[in-house]
Amino acid sequence: MGVIDLEGLEVRLGNRTVLNGLTGELRGKAIGLLGPNGAGKSSLINTLLGFYKPLRGRARVFGMDAYQQRAQIREAVGYMPENDSFIGNMSGVRFVRYMAELAGLSAAEALERAHEALFFVGLGEVRYRKISTYSLGMKQLIKLAQALAHGPKLLILDEPTNGLDPMARQRMIQLIKDIHKQGNVHLLISSHLLRDVDETCDEVLILKNGRIAALCNIEEERRSNRSFIELETVGATERFSVSVRGLGCECASFPGGRIKLVMPDHIEARDLYVIASEQGVQIRRMNQRRDSLEDIFLRAMENEAGSPAHVRL
Amino acid sequence: MSVYKHDYRPFAGKVTPRWMRIYVLSRYGAAEAWSSKITVGLFVLSLLPLVIFLIGIYLANNPLARALIVKGSSGAIDIDAGYFLKMLEFQSWLALILTAWIAPRLISFDLADNALPILLSHPVSRFGYVLGKFLAMFMFLSIVTWIPCLLLFAYQAYSSPLPWFAAHLSIAAGLFSGAILWITVLSILGLALSSWVKWRVVATGAIFAAVFVPAGVGAIMSAILRTRWGFLLNLPMMMSVLWQRMLGAHPIFAEKYALPTPAILAMLLASCVCFVAMLNARIRAREVVRG
Repeated sequence: MGVIDLEGLEVRLGNRTVLNGLTGELRGKAIGLLGPNGAGKSSLINTLLGFYKPLRGRARVFGMDAYQQRAQIREAVGYMPENDSFIGNMSGVRFVRYMAELAGLSAAEALERAHEALFFVGLGEVRYRKISTYSLGMKQLIKLAQALAHGPKLLILDEPTNGLDPMARQRMIQLIKDIHKQGNVHLLISSHLLRDVDETCDEVLILKNGRIAALCNIEEERRSNRSFIELETVGATERFSVSVRGLGCECASFPGGRIKLVMPDHIEARDLYVIASEQGVQIRRMNQRRDSLEDIFLRAMENEAGSPAHVRL
Repeated sequence: MSVYKHDYRPFAGKVTPRWMRIYVLSRYGAAEAWSSKITVGLFVLSLLPLVIFLIGIYLANNPLARALIVKGSSGAIDIDAGYFLKMLEFQSWLALILTAWIAPRLISFDLADNALPILLSHPVSRFGYVLGKFLAMFMFLSIVTWIPCLLLFAYQAYSSPLPWFAAHLSIAAGLFSGAILWITVLSILGLALSSWVKWRVVATGAIFAAVFVPAGVGAIMSAILRTRWGFLLNLPMMMSVLWQRMLGAHPIFAEKYALPTPAILAMLLASCVCFVAMLNARIRAREVVRG
């Protein structure tokens, strides 16, 4: 059972199809939700929270039907919306406590966890101030605190770094990484910033025009590209290439001592240095190519809308 | 309090039953309303007439005290359906003032900062949210309407030297049902209008306007068209007629102006349905972040 299962999910709002035949299983601990504006990211989140009824197919969160069992899902989920969403007239601690009580905690437990959540996100010192007096960064953090306070199994963060300055953004990313590292909670992070998703997620779902443009495990993608290496050498390059081929590598030489090679699994970078040392070749530069999320995203965006909805890169 | 725990940890305790979430909404709503000194002032003010009615009952049942305090008065105070009708009318109009002040505070804070997407992302349905706010309003209004009225009724039953209680039980039933009907209408009206108006002061004005402007329009209609049906827009008049019939008091208005009870009830029901639809439409539109 995945964290989120989508089975031919189709959602219409009025006459517009906002999600069209989404099928896939998301298993990652931190799942990135990417896509241009209007791709259907927020619609998918709203569907997972049970706000939208699917026209066809279904969405499941932890095996529970997103619409039929929305109350159970909402108990297990912490949601941080994209836009300002709080009660400005309340103090930070009172607001977080209120949200925790609504999630099902008793008043005493909610108060205790509200304090903890506020200290965790770094708002401990300002927790008795009215939220309306908070800065934009603080408002983002209070939304994170309320999403965390009841100890959810899945944390849905919609554009968590929206409007933050570089330092506040870094702090938010670090908090998300810390939550990820604790391992107790799954994360679904919707963002249009590839860097945020790249830094925090291990799986990515890319949407385009309400369809899945790509669904891939970022770590696996990186691992699959780990064996592709670019070298810049000085010395007996041809002889070095022959020796490297002898190890079982696919190798191509270029003018200026540049060599591109694909290493088999049993060969490590260290073996290349050993051969270079034996043959008096200097390795001036070694690039282990890493397929960036940007590459994955751009390839996904190049796919036409009519292409199969479920594309594995 | 364990504020030293700065790590995230999951919650492993027991969660409260679902109906408790409605209670949580009511509790926080009521607390928000009470946080204003004006609320406290209005609340105290709305209990003052009850003290006067209490004194009236005391004097009615104590001829000696009456003779000492109201010098030169030989007439007895009649504690009957008319007396309790006046009491209910007083309290009901004070309830309207309280509604105009409290209802916007229950809803507009949630709407002003777009809190609904967060509130409703918890295990609370739209219906649950409205019910929670409605109950907060209903409880408030109950404290100034049917609860003190019934307490004074009980006091009269206790003080009366004659076997009064059993013979006048219909007054208690009328007080209870009349007040419940009124505060239900007021609560729904207050919440519906507050949800549509962004500023609290404007919402307060809109609540008064919703009661009195149609009444004026209805009166004009009735005068021009020479019909009594225009009074169906006159909420104060409809309620007065209804209360008078429920308590069994003497008619207040001439028979030709009095509307039939089923017509009044149907109009109140239609108004409530309309207000609920307004409320539902507004909250539905604001429950999700459109992206």
